Amino acid sequence: MPADPFAAPRATGGRAPDVFRRGGWVPMRQYRDDDTVDFAVVGTGAGGGPLIAGLAEAGFSVIGFDAGPYFRPLEDFASDEREQEKLYWNDERVVDGANPLTMGGKNSGKAVGGSTVHFAMVSLRFRPEWFRSRTILGYGADWPLDWREMWHYYGRAEKALSIAGPVTYPWGPKRPRYPYRAHELNGAAQLLARGAEAMGMKWTATPLATVSAPHGQSPPCVYRGFCRFGCSTNAKQSQLVTFIPRALRAGAEIRDLAMVGRIEVGPTGLATGVHFHREGRWRFQRARHVVVAGYAVETPRLLLASANGQFPDGLANSSGLVGKNLMTQSNQAVFGTMEQEVRWYKGPPSLSITEHWNYEDRKDFAGGYCWMAQGPLPVEWATIQTTSRGLRGQALRDEMEKYNHQVGLKMVGEMLPDERNRVTLADDKDQYGLRVARVTYSWGDNDKALINHALDQMQTSLEAVGAKEIFRQENDTNHLAGTARMGDDPRTSVVNADCRSWDIPNLWVCDGSIFPTTGGVNPSLTITSIAMRTADRIRMLAKRGEL
Amino acid sequence: MADRYPGYDVQSKRWSQSWNEPTRQVIDRRLAIPREPRFFSPDEWRTLQAVCDRIMPQPTDRPPVPLPAFVDQKMADGLLDGYRYAALPPQGDAWRRGLAALDVAARQAHCDPFHDLTPDRQDDLLRQMQTGELAGPEWGGMPCKLFFEHRVIPDITHAYYAHPVAWNEIGFGGPASPRGYVRMGLDRRDPWEAVEANHAG
Amino acid sequence: MAENQLTDLAAPGIALLGLGVLILSRRRRPTRVTALPVLAAPPVDRGTAIHAAKRLNRAAGTLAASVLADSAVEHYRGSFHNKAMFAPLVTSALSLAVSVHGVADKRPAAHWFRDTVYVVAGLTGLIGTAFHIYNVGKKPGGMSWQNLFYSAPIGAPAALLLSGGVGFLAERVRDNKPGTDPLIAGLPAGRVVAAATGAGLLGTVAEAGLLHFRGAYHDPFMFAPVTIPPVAAGLLTNAAYGPACSNRRLTRWWLRLTALLGFAGTGFHAYGVARNMGGWRNWRQNVLNGPPLPAPPSFTGLALAGLAALGLLEDNPDG
Repeated sequence: MPADPFAAPRATGGRAPDVFRRGGWVPMRQYRDDDTVDFAVVGTGAGGGPLIAGLAEAGFSVIGFDAGPYFRPLEDFASDEREQEKLYWNDERVVDGANPLTMGGKNSGKAVGGSTVHFAMVSLRFRPEWFRSRTILGYGADWPLDWREMWHYYGRAEKALSIAGPVTYPWGPKRPRYPYRAHELNGAAQLLARGAEAMGMKWTATPLATVSAPHGQSPPCVYRGFCRFGCSTNAKQSQLVTFIPRALRAGAEIRDLAMVGRIEVGPTGLATGVHFHREGRWRFQRARHVVVAGYAVETPRLLLASANGQFPDGLANSSGLVGKNLMTQSNQAVFGTMEQEVRWYKGPPSLSITEHWNYEDRKDFAGGYCWMAQGPLPVEWATIQTTSRGLRGQALRDEMEKYNHQVGLKMVGEMLPDERNRVTLADDKDQYGLRVARVTYSWGDNDKALINHALDQMQTSLEAVGAKEIFRQENDTNHLAGTARMGDDPRTSVVNADCRSWDIPNLWVCDGSIFPTTGGVNPSLTITSIAMRTADRIRMLAKRGEL
Repeated sequence: MADRYPGYDVQSKRWSQSWNEPTRQVIDRRLAIPREPRFFSPDEWRTLQAVCDRIMPQPTDRPPVPLPAFVDQKMADGLLDGYRYAALPPQGDAWRRGLAALDVAARQAHCDPFHDLTPDRQDDLLRQMQTGELAGPEWGGMPCKLFFEHRVIPDITHAYYAHPVAWNEIGFGGPASPRGYVRMGLDRRDPWEAVEANHAG
Repeated sequence: MAENQLTDLAAPGIALLGLGVLILSRRRRPTRVTALPVLAAPPVDRGTAIHAAKRLNRAAGTLAASVLADSAVEHYRGSFHNKAMFAPLVTSALSLAVSVHGVADKRPAAHWFRDTVYVVAGLTGLIGTAFHIYNVGKKPGGMSWQNLFYSAPIGAPAALLLSGGVGFLAERVRDNKPGTDPLIAGLPAGRVVAAATGAGLLGTVAEAGLLHFRGAYHDPFMFAPVTIPPVAAGLLTNAAYGPACSNRRLTRWWLRLTALLGFAGTGFHAYGVARNMGGWRNWRQNVLNGPPLPAPPSFTGLALAGLAALGLLEDNPDG
C-alpha cells in the first residue's frame, strides 16, 4: 500500500516521485532555505511548470512550490469521481455577487502539476485578433503580445505536450501539424459533427493533450473517460508528467505540500524570498526573483496578503488592478435524449468541437465561443439534473436512468473583463491561518447575450440530430483569468509583456491571471505558451544584464 | 419497476482489468462506511434520514444506499467543496441549523417532528424549502433556498450516484483502468459494458 | 526500462523471424538454374509450371491467412453488427484451404473448385472495398483523414482481393499446356504476376503508411513498411516490364527481405500491444486498439507471389 501523499511531502531527501512507476523515485537537487536561489516559483501548473523547466534548463537555480501533494498517478488515482476530488483546491473560499462562481474542480487544482492534472486536455490556440481585441474587435483590452510570436510559442507548446489533433485545423491562420493524430470520435462527438454539418458549420476533432500513440513512458489513451478526475494511465500530458520531470532533470527542486503564504519585500523595494508552510511549520526561502503562478484566485490572494508598510495595498498593485477584472468562461450546455445509446462516459469528454462563432463576427455582441461534445460521469450528471431542472426524488431517478442515451453540447464562451468582478481577502482564515479569498462575480449584459446566443445555437444543433427532451444548463462556468493583467502601461496593468511586475522588478506573475481578455477557448495552451515565452525572455534579459 | 440493465453488476468487474488497486480500495471503503453518525445528534440524524428518503427514495427490494451516513462522513471529516456562498455558514453549521429549522417548521405546521410526517407532508415542506418559503429565527438568516440547493441536494444526490448500486441502475461502465473502452460509436458496446434490456442497438 | 522493452520485443520478434526463415527456406528449387538466366534457355517442362503455380498458391494462402486473422479481429471489434462482416472470414478461410490444397496438388490443369473459391474471394474483396469506402463516406466529415484513420480501413479488403487474384493467377499458370511457356490472357505469366504483385505491394504500402501516419511514426521502425516494400514493388515492376534476361539477384533478395519484414512486423506489433496501458494482460482491449497483429504478413504473401513471378520469368524467359 503506497504512502499517503497528503500525510507528508514526498519530494524530500534528494529525490522526488517518479510519476511513471509505482513507488519509484528520481533524483532531485535540493536547496537549503538560506541558499539564495535564482527563482522561487509559486505554483507548478500550466504557468509554473513550463517556467520552472525553462529556467532550470537555462541554468538558473529554481524551486517550484506547490501547496498540493505530489501524486504518482499509477498508484494514487482511482477511477472514481468522488475520490478524485482530492485533486481540487477544496479549501474554503467565499463566493458572492449576482452570479457566484462554483469553485473546485472546474477552475482549480491543488497538486504538483496544478489543474492540468485533471483538466479536460482541450488545447486550443487563441484567435489572432483576440490579442488586439480592443483595437480590432472593439471590446476588452489589447494584449502587449503579437499573435505571430504567440503562434511560434503555441507550436512549441503543442510539441512539448504531444498534442493529438486533426491533420488540418479548419479555422485561423495555418499552423504546423499536430505532433500526434486526433483520437477516434465517440458517439457524443459524432453527434456534434452531424449537428454542425446540418447547420452548415465546420467542425473538427478537438486537439487534446493526451497521446494517441505511445510517447516516451506514456501509453496511448485507453478511452476510460475519467480524464477530468486524473489520468491513471499517464496518457494525459499534464504538467506532472511533462514539464515537471523535465524540470527535475535540469536541476530544479519541487516542494510539494508547501503553501506559500507571503512574499517578503525588503527595504530596497525588492522581493527577498517567500514564507512557506511545510511539515507543520513556517519557513523562509531566500530568492533573487519570485514568480507567482497560482492562477487567478491564489495569485491575487498572495499578492494582496503580502502587503506591507511600503506596499499597503498589496504587492505590484500601484495600478489598483490586482484582483480586479476576474474573468471566468461561460460553460452553459444543452442536453437531450437520443433513441440510440450514446454512452458518453467513454473516451475524453470533448472529442469534437466547432469554433464557428469564434471566427464569425456577424453577431450583436462582443466576444466569441466554441462548443464541444460532452461526457459527464454520474455524479456530475446528477448535479446537472438537479441544478438545471430542479429534479429530486423519483423524477430524478427516472431521468438518471436515461444516462446512456444522453447527448450534450457545452460551450466555452468569452466573458468580458469587468473591474467589479474581483478577488479580495475575506475575514475567514484557512488551515494555514491565512485569510481566504472572496470571489465576487456578476455577469454583464454582453455575457448574457453571448450565452443566450450560444444556447439557441446548440439547441438547434441537437434538434438537427434528433435529440428529444432537450433542456438547458443555464448556470455553469469554468476556467479563470484576469486579476493581474498584462499590458503596456503601468497605470492600467500589473505586469508587462514579459510577465514582470511594473512595481517590483524581481516579482513576476506567470499564469492565467495575466490575461487581459479570456477568449472563447480553453486557456491552458495559451498559459503554457506564455510561460515558455517568459522563460525565453528571462534568459534573454539575463544575457543582457537586465535582470 | 423492471431493471433497465438486468443482471448488470459493476462490482463483478472488480478483479478484471477494469479496476486497479486504488479503485478497489476506494470502493471497499465506501461500501464499509459506518452506519452510525459521528457528526449529527440523534435528533438531527432522524431528520436527516427522513430528508434523504424524500430526496432520493430507494427501492425496497434491496438494501438502501446509506445516504445519511455519507452526509455525516462528509461533515465529520470536513471534506469541503472548495467554496461557500457568502450567505451560507460553514457546511456543518449549515446542516445543523437547516435540519433543526426544518424540524421546527414541521412541528409548527403539523405538530409533529419532520421524521414522523407522511411522505406527502415531508415533500411539501421540502418544496417550500426549495422555493424559499421557509423562514424564521431558527434559520439564523440562512436562506433556506440556498441551503437546499447547495447543501441538501448535492450532499445527498452526489453520495447516491457515487455508489456502485446507482451505477448498476443507470448502466454506467464504472471504474475503467487500466482497461478503458474499445467500441466508441453510437449503439456500440464492449463486452464488459452493461446490456440494456429492450434496446435493439 | 530499456532492458524490459528489449525482452518484450525479443521474444515474439525472434519467434516470428524463425517462423519466417523456416517458411522461406522450405522453398524447393528443383529446377533452379545456377547459371545466369541470360546464358540459359531451359526447356519448358510441366514441372516448372506446376511448381510456380504451387508457389503462387502458397502466396495466396499466406495472404488469405492474414485476411482471415485480421478480419476476424477487426470485425469482432465491429461486433459483427452487419451479417456481411462474416463474408471475409468465410471466403478467406476457403481461400486458405484451397491454397493448402493447391500447394499439395502435383497435377497440372486448374482445379474448378480452387478457381471458384479464388474468384469468389477476389469478388468479396472487391465488394468489401466498395463497402468500406461507402462506410467512410457516410460518416460525418466524409473522405477525411479522421475517417480514413478510424473507419473501416479501405485497404484491408483489398488483401482478400489480392489473395483471390494471386490464387486465380496460380490456376492460370497451372492451366498451361505442358511444354509451352505459361501464358495468362496471352501474356507471359511471370510478367503478369510480377506486375500484379507490384501493384498489390504498393496498395499494401499505402495502407501501412496511412495507419502508421495515424500512429505518428512514433517509432522509427514504423518507417520500414513504407520504405522496404516500395523498393520491392519497383524492382518487381521493372521485372514485369523490363528485358527478359537480366540479373534479378537484387530483386530476389529484396523480396526475401520484404517477406521477412511481414513476420517481423507482427513481432513489432506484439511489442506495440505490450506498450499499451495494461500490456498483454489487458489484451481484450489492446489486441483491438493496439497495432493489428495479423496485418503485416500481407507483405510476406505478396513477396512470396513476387518470388514466384521471378521464378516464372527465369524459367520461361520470353522474347
